[in-house]
Amino acid sequence: MSETPQAALAKTIELRVLRYCPSKDGEPSFGTFRVPYTDDMSVLQALQSVKAEQDGSLAFRWSCRMAVCGSCGMMINGTPKLACNTFLRELAPGPVTVEPLANFPIERDLVISVGEFVKKIESIHPYIIPKQPKRVEDGTYRQTPGQMAAYEPFSDCINCMLCYAACPQFGANPDFIGPAAMALLQRYNGDSRDGGQRQRLDQIHGENGVWSCTAVGECSEVCPKHVDPANAVNQNKSNSAFDFLLRFLRREDQP
Amino acid sequence: MSEQRPFRRPQPADWWARPPYLAYTLRELTGVAVALYGAILLAGLICLWLGPDAYAAYRQALASPWSLAVHGLLLAAVVWHAVTWFEILPKTMPRIILGGKALPQPAMTAVTTAFAAVCSIALIAFVVWWGRP
Repeated sequence: MSETPQAALAKTIELRVLRYCPSKDGEPSFGTFRVPYTDDMSVLQALQSVKAEQDGSLAFRWSCRMAVCGSCGMMINGTPKLACNTFLRELAPGPVTVEPLANFPIERDLVISVGEFVKKIESIHPYIIPKQPKRVEDGTYRQTPGQMAAYEPFSDCINCMLCYAACPQFGANPDFIGPAAMALLQRYNGDSRDGGQRQRLDQIHGENGVWSCTAVGECSEVCPKHVDPANAVNQNKSNSAFDFLLRFLRREDQP
Repeated sequence: MSEQRPFRRPQPADWWARPPYLAYTLRELTGVAVALYGAILLAGLICLWLGPDAYAAYRQALASPWSLAVHGLLLAAVVWHAVTWFEILPKTMPRIILGGKALPQPAMTAVTTAFAAVCSIALIAFVVWWGRP
């Protein structure tokens, strides 16, 4: 190592952070901070250093610091990213623009409202609905690796909402069920142990279901977990269309 | 105490003209070229139905430099549309499981693009062979 710790800390980078305090500000505006940084520092660490050293009122969500919890999603230089997973060395010399996730109402600074998203997640019956009820004595529900591969990536979602911030159709229609909720829906619909596909149809159908999607595809591009929500949304367009066309032929005696 | 007054920022009206969405906009707009080319072919069919004079006039119009330039542009747009269409094809399909593993999406794109390319080349070869003197 040629650099001493002091020399390494001498590098600074400018952060332009969108600030909004609901009790004081009529609308959001940018605040500027200059923070010392090292090559191993993330944008989240820069925000933590601002909060500790410069302005304790700066509000942002975070928890795990390692791209697992999905709390620290924000727009970094205009792109939805996890702040913990985005390094200042890649953004140097700056300035780095940090904004709350696009397409969501801003609560305060970088904190957005998540209530509507949570309602969407709840609406898709996010649990396995067995085809046949089984008693404990009858043993477990078994699955082959191939059957698991059919849904496995959709189960990797961490609810970070980057896909919603990347989706212009969600921006235009906030009631659109959106990429992550549809990925979770497909995680259960695609599970060989699940028999709840009919119960989840209402969430797929219509303008607030999959049909708001125009296959822009950016949701899958920004996903930090490679969930591919665009695939979940678009394959359910065929499911919705089939159900629409076959609804007169189907026997309704099975729930 | 805290006050809740969520602020909703408007979506930029020109989001579709900015990267990364510009690629999507181009993919969708080149679909118009497919429709235009279909209309040109339809005009040919109508001229054929109207009689030999109309069809000769249609063929003469196609041979004009203006028409050749338009066809060059349309061909580029249609090729772009086809290539990007096959790129998003795997997004619209259920996951294909072969031997317990999911088929990678780039493989699906490569196989379908190659199939379309072979069909197109075979069609061109057939038309050239059919139309030889």
